[in-house]
Amino acid sequence: MMTLLKYEIYRRWRWLVLRYVALIIIGIILLNRVASPAYQNEFIGESIGKFIFASLVIFIIVIVEGINMLKEDLFEECGYLTFTIPKKGRTVLASKLVLLFLQLSFWTMISIGFGSILFSKLPYPEIVQIETQINFYLFPTVLFILTAFFNFVLMVHFSLTLTKTLLVNKRYSSLLSTGIFFFLIYFIEKVYYGPFLNQLNHVSIEIGSRSNINLLSGGYPAVFLNIILTAIFFTATAYLLENKINI
Amino acid sequence: MEQILKATQLSKYFYQKKALNKVDINIEKGNIYGILGPNGGGKSTFLKIAAGLLKPSQGEITIDNKKPGVYTKSIISYLPETNYLYKWMKIKDALNFFKDLYADFDTERARESLKFMELEEEEKVTSLSKGMMGRLKLTLALSRKAKLYLLDEPLNGIDPISREKIITSILDSYSEKASILICSHLIYYIEKLLDYVFFLSEGRIILSGNAEELRNKRGMSIDKLFQEVF
Repeated sequence: MMTLLKYEIYRRWRWLVLRYVALIIIGIILLNRVASPAYQNEFIGESIGKFIFASLVIFIIVIVEGINMLKEDLFEECGYLTFTIPKKGRTVLASKLVLLFLQLSFWTMISIGFGSILFSKLPYPEIVQIETQINFYLFPTVLFILTAFFNFVLMVHFSLTLTKTLLVNKRYSSLLSTGIFFFLIYFIEKVYYGPFLNQLNHVSIEIGSRSNINLLSGGYPAVFLNIILTAIFFTATAYLLENKINI
Repeated sequence: MEQILKATQLSKYFYQKKALNKVDINIEKGNIYGILGPNGGGKSTFLKIAAGLLKPSQGEITIDNKKPGVYTKSIISYLPETNYLYKWMKIKDALNFFKDLYADFDTERARESLKFMELEEEEKVTSLSKGMMGRLKLTLALSRKAKLYLLDEPLNGIDPISREKIITSILDSYSEKASILICSHLIYYIEKLLDYVFFLSEGRIILSGNAEELRNKRGMSIDKLFQEVF
């Protein structure tokens, strides 16, 4: 897997460096701005907004690239190379997901790093209070978001791979993979998360604290459900890549 | 003689179209085979199934007694018709990629072949002409010590000088331990390479046999026979 990961990085290292360097430069420029005494709190708020926007743009690029990493191999000519190397489907898929995880880690470190410094420039005591309130409940939430992120990417990967199993031509493939994706969302919502959410609602009504119950309120059980789903999609996609796709 | 590839009643459908229709092909070790036929006859489809890129709709194919999979990919060297190399690559990157991912890749042989093919390692694959790309793809495919070489239209769009180089290179790579399966509709150029031929049209084998025997029996070259049949 490490060899494939090396080539995945090698394949797109310029873009990888460019996007993170750009985010760091934007962060430094904004930090310099807020360090100047001439700027008022409004400017600090504006700088935070700009940084969040830049960070979100990079995040979207990371997601799109995470999807395209497999899409290119499935639908472009380079698939003839990727899928004739003697590697298992899970190895091919894992190399792409590990790169995605590394990208996400870089993005998180840079975003949280600059974000927290920028926030700390705000003089409001509430901000300090929010920062000190980061406690145990943060971890299941972060884990939930992380596993949900990989679930989303793997669902798209699975939809694309299933499309390539059912269709050879590119024609209608976007339509079919989009259809499969939305069907999966609907199905998982109804059959998989639905009963779990009902249970959460039921418990919260009993203890009299029902307010905006969603999967994020699910704590570690919700994370566990996500992990199972991730494992299912990873296994299914890897199986199709190795045994069923038509390039 | 030992079989390296066996296809039994192999069919592949694309919706209503039958790209391959109950094809039986046996490939033995140490020979050069040609699948000859017009465009759209099913030649590339057959090679893609053997390479593990397409799944058969019906029938069975085995390579070294195994169904297409990770093992068969490790013993097959496949040269597709398309420009399949990653666009970011220089020639040296392609060499490194093959060296890293195929245990049987012979870098020295590849370097010698690059010299013979007049290709520079520093050149980017996107800057290569069609002839140069064809020569590079063949260099990469033939520099593996594979048991089975699948060459899909290795001469398509290639200039006459490159064609000669490619044919010489295929002949140099011939070994009794390996088999070569070439798909082409440019029969005139590859005829001298072939031990056995299969004529494939509309997904069916319409004629097959030992090339020399067919020449003697029909009193004409395989190229002429091809023109007569199609």
